[in-house]
Amino acid sequence: MDSLNIAATGRTPDVHFDFASGVLRMRGESYPDDVATFFGPIFSALRAYLAEPDKTPIRFDMELVYFNSSSAKALMNIFQMLETVAEGGRDVAIDWYYEPDDDSMMELGEDFSEDLKAVAFTMKARPAHKTSPG
Amino acid sequence: MDFTLFDAEEQAIRQARLLAEKLASAAPECSAEFEALVDSFKRSYREQRRLVRVSDRLQAQVGAANQELERRRQEAETALERLREAQEMIVQAEKLASLGALVAGVAHEINTPVGIAVSCASHLSDATAELKGKVEAGALGRADFNRYLATAADTTALILSNAGRAAELINSFKQIAVDRASAERRRFPLRSTIQETLTSLQPKLRPGHHTVEVTCPADLEVDGYPGAVSQILTNLVINSLTHAFAEGQAGTMSIAASRPDPDTVQLVYRDDGRGIPPDHLTQIFEPFFTTRRGQGGSGLGLHIVHNLVAGPLKGTITVESLAGSGTTFTVTFPRRAPDA
Repeated sequence: MDSLNIAATGRTPDVHFDFASGVLRMRGESYPDDVATFFGPIFSALRAYLAEPDKTPIRFDMELVYFNSSSAKALMNIFQMLETVAEGGRDVAIDWYYEPDDDSMMELGEDFSEDLKAVAFTMKARPAHKTSPG
Repeated sequence: MDFTLFDAEEQAIRQARLLAEKLASAAPECSAEFEALVDSFKRSYREQRRLVRVSDRLQAQVGAANQELERRRQEAETALERLREAQEMIVQAEKLASLGALVAGVAHEINTPVGIAVSCASHLSDATAELKGKVEAGALGRADFNRYLATAADTTALILSNAGRAAELINSFKQIAVDRASAERRRFPLRSTIQETLTSLQPKLRPGHHTVEVTCPADLEVDGYPGAVSQILTNLVINSLTHAFAEGQAGTMSIAASRPDPDTVQLVYRDDGRGIPPDHLTQIFEPFFTTRRGQGGSGLGLHIVHNLVAGPLKGTITVESLAGSGTTFTVTFPRRAPDA
């Protein structure tokens, strides 16, 4: 399945889902004007990918430095989809990156991790990448 | 596109509805309680949707406010930058204007000896024409010839001394003008730079019978910017002439140069005028500070002094003043200017 690449804009993050290697990454800031327009294609692609019989381990790199509430909800939906395939026996890891001095991002990560049992959720404190296309 | 953020919740509600139907026949006594549970879930779900919407809207407002704030900050910074540039341009213009004043001073000084030389030459020329006429007419007497000789001796002596004086003035001004205009670095004897500067100021000093005393070791050589030193002294003297002395008062100023240590030069400039009020003392180096606005004061003279001391000279300037007992500026700078 082809990878999904969406370049960052001022209000949406850089999305790089390399389905062949199982590495999915979102990086940057997320507060889209229209949540359906931005997340719709992401969900469609992800749903199609997870429906395939492929059992390649998945690593999701969550490298958002800022997101609004509807993006948080969308993120939770993504995590639930990943949790479901992990319950089905697939190796799934989520790495939650946050800037070392960003306490609220750290707490949000901890909060998200509470809903995930089958997914290996890891908190990673690291200075943020600059958002750049590609 | 089929996308809703609350897909899972909608689905749960649909499932609950199916379960409610089953429950109605299997365990009717539980139906009411179950419906109450589902209702409370629906309320909670609606609340969640509302909160997401409110929160997104707040985020958007904060984002817009921040953008506006950033835009205004940038506007303010641009304005400040323009103001600084304008200020810099005015300071440059003032420096050019003072160069113009220097040239005017020079012209005025040279005018006197050149004028004398011209009138002497003219007098000699007239006398020569008269002599020639008498010779041609064969009417030249001994007395005429002796008179002519005396005139020729007097006028040529005056022409020589005045032309020499003019040449001397031109030489000293040439150096000062070049230094001012070029801001070039060189080694220079401090004393002659001070003296040449004062010569260029004579047209301003002489009418009020002001005097400037100079004390400077003859061997004090500075490796730096003579143009800056000359400009500093000029501005200090003009500042005194503008502010320090009452109408008709003949002021005394002094410039004392010394070497407190082998690598340092100290210039102490003093006038015996009325002094600077304490509340002005902290502001005199600020650009556009003037007590003579509208009377030709630009408020830049001492600011330029400060800039030249802190800039090319890499030195410091301090001021002391007591009402009624004059003002002292002390400029201290390295004898060898540090490389820029």
